[in-house]
Amino acid sequence: MPDSERSKRQPTFDTLEREKLFKFPPKQGSSYKILNEFVAPHIESFNALFDDSGLPSGDGKGKGLLSLGLDDMGERVIFDGTGQTAGTWGNRMRIWIESVSISRPMVPDKNKYVKDRKVFPAEARERLASYRGKMSIKLCWTDPQGQRQDVTRDCGLVPIMVRSVRCNLRSMSSADMVKHHEEAEEFGGYFVINGNERLIRYLILPRRNHVISLLRPSFTNRGPSYTQYAVQIRCVRPDQTSCTNTLHYLSNGSAMFRFSWRKQEYVIPIMLILKALVGASDKEIFEGIMMQDYDNTFLTGRVELLLRSYKQFTMRTGEQALEYLGDKFRVVLGMADDMSNSAIGALLIRKLILVHIENPREKYRMLLFMLRKLYSVVNGTCCADNPDSPQHQEVLLPGQLYGMIIKERLEEILNSIRTFINIDIRNGNTVDFNDKRYFAKVLTRINFDIGSKLSNFLATGNLVSPSGLDLQQASGFTIVAEKLNWQRYISHFRCIHRGAFFAELKTTTVRKLLPEAWGFLCPVHTPDGSPCGLLNHLARTCRIVTAPLAVAHIPALLAKHGMSEPFNACIDGRTNLCVQLDGHVIGWATPAVARQLATSLRIWKTEGKNEIPMDLEIGMVPPSMGGQYPGLFLFSSRSRMMRPVKYLANGRDDSIGPFEQVYMDIACTPEEIESEVSTHVEHNPTNFLSILANLTPFSDFNQSPRNIYQCQMGKQTMGTPSTALKHRTDNKLYRLQSGQSPVVRPALHNTYAMDAFPNGTNAIVALRKSGEPTLHFGLGPEIKPHAKGEKRDSCLDFLDLDGLPYIGTKLRSGDPIAAYVDDVTRRTKFVKYKGDEEALVDEVRLLGEDTGDVELQKIHITLRITRSPVIGDKFSSRHGQKGVCSQKWPAVDMPFSESGMQPDVIINPHAFPSRMTIGMLVESMAGKAGAMHGLAQDATPFKAVEAAGYNYYGNEPMYSGITGEEFAADIYLGVVYYQRLRHMVLDKFQVRTTGPVDPVTRQPVKGRKRAGGIRFGEMERDALIAHGTSYLLQDRLMNCSDYSTAWDISLGEVFTGTSISRKPTGPGGEYCRICRAAAEQEDELERQALATGQHLQRPQASLSVAISSQNVLGRSLKGGDLDVVAVPYVFRYLCAELASMGIAVSLEIQ
Amino acid sequence: MNDPILRIRKYERDRVNFVLENVDMAFANSLRRVMMADLPTVAIDIVEIQANTTVLPDEFISHRLGMIPLVSSNCDVAMRYTRDCNCFENCAFCSIILVLNVKCHDSTTMDVTSNHLEVVPHEDQGMEEAGEEQVKRIEKFGSPVGKNEPGVEPILICKIRKGQELKLKCIVKKGIAKEHAKWSPCSAVSFEYDPHNKLRHTSYWFETDERAEWPLGENAAEEEAPREGEPFDFNAKPSKFYFDVETDGSLGAQEVVMKVRIIVSFLSF
Ligand SMILES: [Zn+2]
Repeated sequence: MPDSERSKRQPTFDTLEREKLFKFPPKQGSSYKILNEFVAPHIESFNALFDDSGLPSGDGKGKGLLSLGLDDMGERVIFDGTGQTAGTWGNRMRIWIESVSISRPMVPDKNKYVKDRKVFPAEARERLASYRGKMSIKLCWTDPQGQRQDVTRDCGLVPIMVRSVRCNLRSMSSADMVKHHEEAEEFGGYFVINGNERLIRYLILPRRNHVISLLRPSFTNRGPSYTQYAVQIRCVRPDQTSCTNTLHYLSNGSAMFRFSWRKQEYVIPIMLILKALVGASDKEIFEGIMMQDYDNTFLTGRVELLLRSYKQFTMRTGEQALEYLGDKFRVVLGMADDMSNSAIGALLIRKLILVHIENPREKYRMLLFMLRKLYSVVNGTCCADNPDSPQHQEVLLPGQLYGMIIKERLEEILNSIRTFINIDIRNGNTVDFNDKRYFAKVLTRINFDIGSKLSNFLATGNLVSPSGLDLQQASGFTIVAEKLNWQRYISHFRCIHRGAFFAELKTTTVRKLLPEAWGFLCPVHTPDGSPCGLLNHLARTCRIVTAPLAVAHIPALLAKHGMSEPFNACIDGRTNLCVQLDGHVIGWATPAVARQLATSLRIWKTEGKNEIPMDLEIGMVPPSMGGQYPGLFLFSSRSRMMRPVKYLANGRDDSIGPFEQVYMDIACTPEEIESEVSTHVEHNPTNFLSILANLTPFSDFNQSPRNIYQCQMGKQTMGTPSTALKHRTDNKLYRLQSGQSPVVRPALHNTYAMDAFPNGTNAIVALRKSGEPTLHFGLGPEIKPHAKGEKRDSCLDFLDLDGLPYIGTKLRSGDPIAAYVDDVTRRTKFVKYKGDEEALVDEVRLLGEDTGDVELQKIHITLRITRSPVIGDKFSSRHGQKGVCSQKWPAVDMPFSESGMQPDVIINPHAFPSRMTIGMLVESMAGKAGAMHGLAQDATPFKAVEAAGYNYYGNEPMYSGITGEEFAADIYLGVVYYQRLRHMVLDKFQVRTTGPVDPVTRQPVKGRKRAGGIRFGEMERDALIAHGTSYLLQDRLMNCSDYSTAWDISLGEVFTGTSISRKPTGPGGEYCRICRAAAEQEDELERQALATGQHLQRPQASLSVAISSQNVLGRSLKGGDLDVVAVPYVFRYLCAELASMGIAVSLEIQ
Repeated sequence: MNDPILRIRKYERDRVNFVLENVDMAFANSLRRVMMADLPTVAIDIVEIQANTTVLPDEFISHRLGMIPLVSSNCDVAMRYTRDCNCFENCAFCSIILVLNVKCHDSTTMDVTSNHLEVVPHEDQGMEEAGEEQVKRIEKFGSPVGKNEPGVEPILICKIRKGQELKLKCIVKKGIAKEHAKWSPCSAVSFEYDPHNKLRHTSYWFETDERAEWPLGENAAEEEAPREGEPFDFNAKPSKFYFDVETDGSLGAQEVVMKVRIIVSFLSF
């Protein structure tokens, strides 16, 4: 192949480029930009907490979520209870939190010597500490004169997300990152908690600010006249906290409005809320729901029933309704005592009903829309929405959850201050609002430590919350970002969970792969087993919107282009569709106009006109016969999934969401475009796959489950977890010493820096019938477990004078790792190495105190264990073809080809017909051609295979290594990239002959760790009986189990029971106490009987068990009547138990 | 059967291509197996690491050192197996000592290669006079193959940066590849007989045309192609074997074949 053609080929190995990047990491930016992009939702959602987030401000003022949360929280009012006489409440105090600040991680002020106070994540990791910054709040209150006072309180150390705006690594280049002991490709997005990297997993939530209709038979259990119909909306406040409102349809035609407050559910008749919101008259409500559709008798009937149902309340005006609500919810909401009922009613509406809308009039319009949708579902003119479809879903982002927890904690602080003062008043303690010291005293009793709460949340994933944060689960929010290998590591940041609640559901509907998920959730990358379909991974190009968008001008713009204003009272509901923007009714339009508006918006946004943001989702749901409820739904909010495609109308790039995608025709490839039908085309046909699924070569040739398995196995492979290995302190790290870059690789392999972290070896593979899978040298790895110990001072052979081991020291089980002098006993103590395998000391770390003022509190030793492949280790190709090495052969015995090539692996061709991994065959073919020509081969799925060497089938005549004879069949020989999986026999094998036994039964204990055995149960016993292998049975169930011996009274009974007339003794003079006593007694009786002439009767045992003569060991030669008999110890135990119940066991021994 | 004929077709320093005629298959294959696994060579067996501040761990460097081919000409007589030697641990008769002592002082990355390995005399050498083994050794015996030779790339052991150091002592011992593959003098042995498949030991799988899909190798020119309609001789036995032996340089190609001849004749006659 000429050099010019060679250089044009894609992909290439990029060896020189990669080496250059590794030696000289870029001083500006990072080596692989795409790695920073795919964790962006993690980092940007965390940044959004702060006012200086660096995100665009959108329609708001650019305030951070924490500040917005403080605004929403408002103030608490407390009265000191003086002067209760004339119905006054006494002195009034308002308390509120004015600001929250979180600083970057710094060395505590206690340490006076440090030059650079910044703390970097590598330090936290190596010291097994947490990467945290100080949080403080400004707490304000008013004294009785109304004078504002403030105090700054410390709220502990809050874990900081690595590479966020509060991280010291923010905006560092790759070169700087390496200087700070990080990966050159470090992208952050996680927290460091006690040295572990933990992250908050994405969670699927119902789409915000959009009304979905539900049909759930379980709703009927909510109370009398409840039906299965409801509409639901998850409303989100500006600070990203949410509140779900549900509108239930009752069989009497009316509707009940449901919400929850502090995990408690409340239902209010919808009419009460409609009245309270705007004081609407009955006529207004009637017209608002009917929208001139007077012929619809179903609707008129329901609305009439609805209005009539309100007659039982005798409230006419909105004010009366508000007062009624306020009266009922005064205690529940726990607001200031001096608020009027109507003010509390208004507060209830503001805080809990359609919280995404400020204006009561707009809330009223939205409620009418919900009612119309509800009636339409009941009527059957539209269908129920599927809450499991990504169309109605969005993502809970880590930063948002973090912000919600902080907000709730801050609210708790305010509430507990009020509670403490109220308790003081009730107990009659002096409460003086004029006294600053009193307030300071109250504050000392409040727990301000939000930092430890957040650390605890991140370390356990458990959410401790009084309100539940409108989430369906309370645990499982965080996971460890395991650095087993690069593939596993990056997958953590793209995984998205459906929710712990769904994992317990017996139905499998939630796990279904829906066509709506195309392009957003990868259909391939999900684990098999219990989390299947619940734990998904985002498709490669799927983004999550994290920046607020500027959309305030859109309603006016649409009105200008033919949309009717929302307040227009004479809109015909039959011919008009509702136009909504983020859950606000912004107008009405006929289907034709709505469609026109949708098209215009799309053209504007793709062409950048009219300041329409690219991430606006334009969901045009056309009217249908019983389909989804129609309308034009626009979404600009955060947390939505979006993905790039090409818009065919103008050839521009478009960004689409799952809501609108359902109504689009997207061609996968340009060839698939159908004129007049296709609206969009994919940028790349593999964009719907996750990163890992994209990395499976020729995955389009494989049977689909095999690609699923590969996504799992790629993550269990021993590879190169990190390039900063010296600075890693993971509990276990697997490292492959001989990693190679695959010859056959999809184009994305280079894009995602996969060659920087090799994961396997190109192996020569022969397919040979009756051949055992075989491996010889090559895939040799290494593991590094860790041990911890305390230290002071000592000396020993392989320890240095300081009591620490020399680096490189070989350790066997029981060797000392470290020595120290025990302060109490003044003696040298040794920490021993407990593993069974030979280990080498790799690294010794001396750790100081977290505060940085005391040195050497802990030592941390890294051990290295080498493990070359052995029989029983697990390997796999990249096609879900896993297998265990069953035999290792010397090179001379291996078969060879005419050119002297010997395979590294021989696999059985029977592995292919049932598994149908044609991709593996194609890979081996392409690999062979690539290896012969020295080229990288493109293995991108859905691409025409044009690899060299396809004129020939890759078979070669082969010769037996043992006899030298040519095999009767030619054998297929190719190159396949093989992965060594982390499951190794050395960690798994479990064998024992003798060992620890259970003290009660004297049978072997269980558990590999305790050198126990594997249960040899009844079914196993049956198998051996069936085989007739009685000696083995004897060995397993007796000799290697609870073998014990017992004295047996020859031809008599053992253990218990009565005896025959002799007085048996053993060879050593042993005798049976019972027998002897009985014999003596019998002697006595017989003597008496002789004397009296009576005949006597012996008691008979009811149960008898036969023991074969085989089990009777050596009959004593020296005379005596006692024999030794082999008995399972449990049987003895059983006899003892039975004896304790007064049951005698008698045995007959032959 | 006629006398065996060995015809060398191509000969290079570390590679030989020959045809062996008038032997049976068992003989030819044992020749191959002996070349691969039974010829004694010397290789680094024990490594004492004095200083290692490189990025690679000790045992990994040791493993790499073991794989370096060392000049082993005449090894069967010039060296004793340690197990046969009457010394306590190892001595000048049964071992060779190589040392490596490299430190990087430049700010650029430095390659530590097989060229840095130096043969040093045994400490006890000189005390007694050189035995017969030492006399038979050639000058370069025990040093890395191709050391300091122009046009031969040295073998990379590891790369070090400024301030890093690698200091170690290697004890070289004699052994055969049955014990460990590092003692194998051959990197590959190709072996073929019956290029036309006249004996029908194998059956070629093909889709449409066997001839077109299974191109003949170059050895096919050595034998007569089967004539159309030739009857199959089921008594025929292969007698002509085509070898191509490539060595790693520790033994020359000629030496390998000669040694094998001796060993095989020793074994079989
Ligand atoms: Zn010796």
